[in-house]
Amino acid sequence: MNLPGRHLLLLTLGLLLLTGCGAARQTRIHHSQLLSFGTLVDISLWDASPEQIENAERIIHDELHAMHHDWHAWQPGPLTETNQQLRGGEWFVCPPAILPLIVQAKQLYQRSGGLFNPAIGQLVALWGFHSDTLPKGPPPPKEAIASLVARKPGMDAIVIDGQRIRSTNPAVQLDFGAFAKGYAVDRIIEKLIANGIGNAIINAGGDLRAIGRHGDRPWRIGIRNPRGPGVLAGIELSGDESVFTSGDYERFFRYRGKRYHHIIDPRTGYPARGVTSVTVIHDNAATADAAATALFVAGPEEWHPIARRMGIKYVMVVDDKGRIHMNPAMARRIQFESEQKPEVVLSKPL
Amino acid sequence: MNTLTTTAEDHRIAWLAALAITIHIAESALPSPLPGIKPGLANMVTIATLCIYGLRTTAWVMLLRVVAGSLLLGTFLSPTFTLSFSGALASLLVLTVAHLLPAIRFGAVGYSLLAAMGHMSGQFAVAYWLFIPHPALLHLFPILMTAAVLFGLVSGIIVATMLKRIP
Amino acid sequence: MKPALVTRADWLVIVASLALLPWLYATFWSSDDTAADKVHIIVDGKELPPISLHQDRKLTIRGSIGTSTLQIEQGRIRFVHSPCQGQQCVHSGWLSHNGEFAACLPNRIALQLSGGAARFDTFIY
Repeated sequence: MNLPGRHLLLLTLGLLLLTGCGAARQTRIHHSQLLSFGTLVDISLWDASPEQIENAERIIHDELHAMHHDWHAWQPGPLTETNQQLRGGEWFVCPPAILPLIVQAKQLYQRSGGLFNPAIGQLVALWGFHSDTLPKGPPPPKEAIASLVARKPGMDAIVIDGQRIRSTNPAVQLDFGAFAKGYAVDRIIEKLIANGIGNAIINAGGDLRAIGRHGDRPWRIGIRNPRGPGVLAGIELSGDESVFTSGDYERFFRYRGKRYHHIIDPRTGYPARGVTSVTVIHDNAATADAAATALFVAGPEEWHPIARRMGIKYVMVVDDKGRIHMNPAMARRIQFESEQKPEVVLSKPL
Repeated sequence: MNTLTTTAEDHRIAWLAALAITIHIAESALPSPLPGIKPGLANMVTIATLCIYGLRTTAWVMLLRVVAGSLLLGTFLSPTFTLSFSGALASLLVLTVAHLLPAIRFGAVGYSLLAAMGHMSGQFAVAYWLFIPHPALLHLFPILMTAAVLFGLVSGIIVATMLKRIP
Repeated sequence: MKPALVTRADWLVIVASLALLPWLYATFWSSDDTAADKVHIIVDGKELPPISLHQDRKLTIRGSIGTSTLQIEQGRIRFVHSPCQGQQCVHSGWLSHNGEFAACLPNRIALQLSGGAARFDTFIY
């Protein structure tokens, strides 16, 4: 009787296979962090050669340098020079580091119905956010805010003719705070791809773009609980996608018990109310960055039409009561980690 | 006055259920090393019934055992009953599928293993979802399943040996 | 014809159920394998030698604007105190899983956990 013997062999083989799977797991993941110019960049590369890793870190460093030097909203550099010229209202040759940002920002301004508005630099400065240290309050006088809002600074006031630009509104002052990071991440990813890197996550302080996969599985992103410890939810990314979040907890000050954060509503001149954070998934990082800000300003009631106009397919809005508003496609991708699921409000499909 | 006419099958079900209930109650008096782990001796009656009399009789014996057994033990509609009932249902479901599979002839050992694992999985799933949805409970599952496989195998071999002696 | 004590189909069930058990242990007992065992601390862009999370201790680290205090306890680490204004690092709370990180950017101190299997590749807020 050799039947049991054969089965025993089969069993042993099966067990070997099972344990073999565990042992054969390889660590082809490279993980590192780069702290440059005040931004912490978390880099994940799958299956990259040492040379590619070195290149990647150099590319990231260079791009962050550009972001902090060329696009700085208040330290003297190409952007502050551009702002000075814009105030004069005359035609001038725009610095080449700035022009492509203006072109793209103008489009996003249009598509967001003016809610993503990098032309309100004067308002942001008035609130005291143009400083490395956070303002202590009090908030600026009502009249000063109202008079700035009344002058309607907007991206449509900037006219482009080849390399030359001018502003038809002296109240325009560019601040790419809600956009530069996304733009830089897009440039980094472009250069990584040109270097033959196909599987990567570039996470610039919580805003990221992921390309490719983690070997045989998609990239897994944990969403930290912004108001406490632990992971709120997980999300899987594969292909080429960016996840950007705008939150009222990023830069803020308290004055007499009230919180004032850095995301200014261009319609009122005050920090946008009603939302704690907005998370957006989109293929392009710059668009995701701008959209996260625009939808934050739009608020829990009005984000849906704006998202549709901007072509965003995945949105999660956490309102100030802790409720989570999502479109159905986003809800299918979010895996809540905590035992108590938060209250979720599903919107119409986008 | 109406008399209830009973068939031979009814008598058989009643006898088998009575046997299963007796074993069930006797077993409930035994101390258990870990909550949820039991030899499942009543399972042997189920398997023998299935091998000799088929699915219909088995289903009746099983359901009668759980309901009548819990009435006798005073646990009817308590959490213990819910667990026992969901375990029996899951085990019955697995046995039904196994029994109806064409071209595959399981013996007592196969049925016993399937029933034990089905019972444990069903019971565990209900315990997890209804009573203690805590991730720590999941750590117990492999241990419980090991016990289920062990006891399922042993009682299956006992039933198979027993059936072989029946002419 | 006498029925076999154990049929071919029975053998299949036996093999399958015995093979299932290691898989169950691997699946249900693996939730802890994302626990990190080391912390990498980066001060002003320079990485310090990794520190084990299995030895409870307090660390004081001098950054660019002052001294930050870190606490390691039972495989976890947190910022206890930092001289920054936002206190985001302190609000990050305990970190214990591979890949998690926290940073005090004003003080230029960042830390990241490693070791164990990563459940997530990276984190956002």
